[in-house]
Amino acid sequence: MGFEAELLWAEKYRPRSLKEMIDQQDIINRLTRFAEEKNMPHLLFAGPPGTGKTTAAHALAHDLYGDAYMQFMLELNASDERGIDTIREKVKEFARSKTPPEIQFKIVLLDEADNMTSDAQQALRRLMELYSGSTRFILAANYPSKIIDPIQSRCAFFRFTTIRREDIINRLKFIAENENVEYDEEALDIIYEVSEGDMRKAINILQASAYLGKVSAEVVFRVVGMARPKDVKDMIEASLKGNFIEAREILRKVMIEYGLSGEDVVKQIHRELMGSNIKISDEIRVLIADYLGEIHYRISQGSDEDIQLSAFLAWLSMIGRKVGV
Amino acid sequence: MPWVIKYRPKKVDDVVNQEEAKSTVLTWIHSWLEGKRPTKKALLLYGPPGVGKTSLVESIASEYDLELLELNASDYRRTQDIRKTVAVASQKKPLFKKMIIILMDEVDGLSPRSDAGGIEELMKIIPNSINPIILTANDPWKDSLRPLREYVTMVQFKQLTTNQIIAVLQNICNKEKIQCDREALKFIAEKSLGDVRGAINDLEAVAEGYGRVTFNIVSLVVKPREKNIDLWRTLNSVFYAREFWQARKAVNTSEEDYETLMAWINDNIPAKYEDPEDVFRAWDSLARASIFLKRAKSGNWFLLPYIFDLIGPGVSFARKNGQVLRNRFSYPAKIKEMAQLKSVRENREGVARTIAKRIHASKRIVKSEVLPYLFLMMKYGDINRVSKLSSYYSFTEDQLRYLAGSRVKEIISSINREASNVKETKSAESSKHAAKKKRRSRSK
Repeated sequence: MGFEAELLWAEKYRPRSLKEMIDQQDIINRLTRFAEEKNMPHLLFAGPPGTGKTTAAHALAHDLYGDAYMQFMLELNASDERGIDTIREKVKEFARSKTPPEIQFKIVLLDEADNMTSDAQQALRRLMELYSGSTRFILAANYPSKIIDPIQSRCAFFRFTTIRREDIINRLKFIAENENVEYDEEALDIIYEVSEGDMRKAINILQASAYLGKVSAEVVFRVVGMARPKDVKDMIEASLKGNFIEAREILRKVMIEYGLSGEDVVKQIHRELMGSNIKISDEIRVLIADYLGEIHYRISQGSDEDIQLSAFLAWLSMIGRKVGV
Repeated sequence: MPWVIKYRPKKVDDVVNQEEAKSTVLTWIHSWLEGKRPTKKALLLYGPPGVGKTSLVESIASEYDLELLELNASDYRRTQDIRKTVAVASQKKPLFKKMIIILMDEVDGLSPRSDAGGIEELMKIIPNSINPIILTANDPWKDSLRPLREYVTMVQFKQLTTNQIIAVLQNICNKEKIQCDREALKFIAEKSLGDVRGAINDLEAVAEGYGRVTFNIVSLVVKPREKNIDLWRTLNSVFYAREFWQARKAVNTSEEDYETLMAWINDNIPAKYEDPEDVFRAWDSLARASIFLKRAKSGNWFLLPYIFDLIGPGVSFARKNGQVLRNRFSYPAKIKEMAQLKSVRENREGVARTIAKRIHASKRIVKSEVLPYLFLMMKYGDINRVSKLSSYYSFTEDQLRYLAGSRVKEIISSINREASNVKETKSAESSKHAAKKKRRSRSK
């Protein structure tokens, strides 16, 4: 293997230029035209995770400004920034910095914009207007419906779709061969199924599997099983069996090791419960959804996560005992 | 049942070593009962904590079959609250009992700000009361109480001597059939500084934890006014309470803030309750308290009393089906972990930040979508790749320990080996280079 650097493949195999992007061809064509004309409106990229929104934004900037494009692009993430005031300060400062040669604007990329409250989005809209002379905004979001209308109407809209089966599998093959990793075709199929068209997830699973040995169906299942969702499933099953204390220990582990927020845990519980992996009657499923929704709301209102989730697990244990799951 | 409740004086005779105070109070009550209202309509019982002030009043109420209205330390006691409760009760003729005793604990704790006007209101009520009013205080000489002192008869409760406390403890040991060394009891009594309640709690803590009470154990375990002991008392009262007020008072009078209390209760419900319905009811109450707390914190502090209702009695009376388990209380994992895990949190955030920057995703995404796989790679993956990955992202040793657990040493030595290899190759190359240079200069 020599002294070649080893990095996360999600980083290593990220396309740098629009030309390298294999999927979302309609979108890429339109973006390529922006790069050629050296002009663009504000953009709104919407679509599920791992479909190339952020990558496309970087690739566009790269094609506009060249390799050192990062000096002309401000990358912000709504879920990591501390509110609209920090965003405002950063944009203000960035707008004052030097402008690129030949091109009249710089780019502000605001990722996960749908995580902003509508008040913050109103403030963002004013920012977009204020600096429209010198900057263009690219907003990326999973759910475009959470973006307020006045922003949507100011942006050219791009809808990213989940990545096609063959595109994911071809990419995985390309990576595996480049990394000298042995694999079974069947294993790549399974990775595609599990990733649900999310390229980042597919690549992460491939890398973790490759680290454990030859990428076979068995190894992929092991990796997917060992990654977190199993913990949440175990937790639900333990409490349904009335084994509350064990369930609570898993809860602690999940929140501490992975640093999941209470809301993340609730969402995962919901995903697990609504899937078919857990055997309970549909009637109970509805009951659980009702109470889980209540717990979700309480946590979103700032109530103590540990207490609320423990209450949920205690309730689930009680229900489990009663109906004899 | 906690011993402080089990051995709390039930009859007036059970209140020991306060003969003078007892006779003053009894004479005063007798004249009320005989219809001769004393000139001073209120008593102020004062003395150190745990000497029997409240117990005496409670035992009188039960022995003479009188109604008792208790206002605890953390009930709001501003003018309008006092008007609503005390003023009304002071004029009320009870339906079934002969009289109402109005007991207001810890008036020296009335806060001049949040209980503003409380003292003045009391001074208006007392002279016209048709029912006996009894106030208690640890420190009656506080400035804020000066005007009030004119309106009350002061009754002093003496601090108990060490020997008196030893006698109380010895009596309990006999009844509980526990082997107790006199030296050990003496130690507990001295450390209690005259607080019988505290001494009994300490005795129970040792007896329950160790089965016997010897000087060696006691001298190690019992510390004066230890916070844990206070919490332990509070929890005991909450989980074993028989009456609403017992549980509420426990929470009310605890030295700990409500958030700490909630964390302790949150962690000790499964140690004490077993029946799934009991467990759920207890948590449901706590969960509602937590909602109230959030509302209170956003400026609605008048909600605090309800929080006490929910975390005290709410948890006590959640138990309907099962018994209280005999497990010992444990230190809240949450708090303990928070303390220990500050480093885990730092490592987690550090790793997430590094990777988020490199793969252009938020830390949130990295934590939920990337970390689970990274853990797997670091813990079980090919060591060569793992060590190269670690050096590429320059993970610190602590971060490596967080990601790879016990494998950290293996990874670090692999990284070091790699680094020295690189150095050797580099130095080999540079010496070659130097040799070339030499040759070139020579040829010149």
